[in-house]
Amino acid sequence: MSFGGKLKGNTQSPPRVSLEEMAWSWLGSFLGIGAVAGLNHLYFAGTPWTLIVGSFGASASLIYGAIKSPLAQPRNFVGGQVLSALVGVSAQMALPGQAWLAAPLAVAFAVVVMHATKTLHPPGGATALIAVAGGPQVHDLGYLYALLPVGAGALLMLAIALVVNNLPAKRRYPEFWL
Amino acid sequence: MPANQDQGPGGLHPDHELSEQDILKAMKGLSGYLDITPGDFKEVFDLAYGQALRRLGLSIKARDLMTAPVVSVGAGDSLGQVAQVMAEAGVSGVPVLDDGGRVLGVISEKDFLKRMDPLGSPSLMGVVARCLSQGACLLAPLLEERAAQAMSAPAVTLGPEATLAEISALFSERGINRAPVVDRQGRPLGMVSRGDLLGARAGRRA
Repeated sequence: MSFGGKLKGNTQSPPRVSLEEMAWSWLGSFLGIGAVAGLNHLYFAGTPWTLIVGSFGASASLIYGAIKSPLAQPRNFVGGQVLSALVGVSAQMALPGQAWLAAPLAVAFAVVVMHATKTLHPPGGATALIAVAGGPQVHDLGYLYALLPVGAGALLMLAIALVVNNLPAKRRYPEFWL
Repeated sequence: MPANQDQGPGGLHPDHELSEQDILKAMKGLSGYLDITPGDFKEVFDLAYGQALRRLGLSIKARDLMTAPVVSVGAGDSLGQVAQVMAEAGVSGVPVLDDGGRVLGVISEKDFLKRMDPLGSPSLMGVVARCLSQGACLLAPLLEERAAQAMSAPAVTLGPEATLAEISALFSERGINRAPVVDRQGRPLGMVSRGDLLGARAGRRA
């Protein structure tokens, strides 16, 4: 197929989901992010630690909004988040002060590592990028970043997903664990 | 994209294939967001369907398809007897056996038609047309004949382990509609006809 032909696309967008589906996606996202934000507020305000990382917002779209997606399954969500955090911290430590190079390396390697481990989870790329571009507060955490906020926050959001996504009769989560 | 744009894996006309609209409707029927496009789903479906057909083509054997026990005739039987046997069994072809019970050939309706109208094409309507236009009884030449003279021989036979794919290929190569399934000694175990192949493709297995 020619390059121009490929750019045209060859199929159509999947259908819009029902209002009921949207409502459950809203509730899961609200409770999931609410849990990490609330606990962060209670226990980590004014400390060097945090329970929140920006890429959790992206993860919420998947684990509460596209719960059948392979990208949203526990293996991908927790595995992709934690492995990408480790890759991001490694890039930051290998090239301190060289964010222009550490950032693309962090994301590119995060994507490859997630592919290789069958844990592809798009927000993981953001998690790796934040490890480099997140400023001194993130840099100071070192590899702890992969456990707190990333690992702990992911497990908390997963627990919410396991409850909320299984409340309605028509929803089921996960599709698989490992 | 599939390599062959005109026909799907089942050799169906494009209008009869799974369409993106079908897939979209099905996706709407399932609640929840599926992160696959209808186009990708169709590609997966086509490949999986082709794979399933190939697997069935290799796993279904002559012994699964054949009609048994076999209705057969002897080489020395008259064509009158043969016709009676075929009529009673409601079959359009039978194996012709020698004295030892081994398959020598196959005699079918088409073989009768050939003898009735050696010049024309072997079709029932050809025979009817000649009969009506000439007023000749075309059955007369058959009175003295024996099965061995009218049969198609040597018989195209199948082993019980022949696969659906092999049988389909053999039938179209040789232009035949049925073949006896025989054991190592050439004795008939059953008959496989084109209808049996269609039944297998449609998933109706005995």
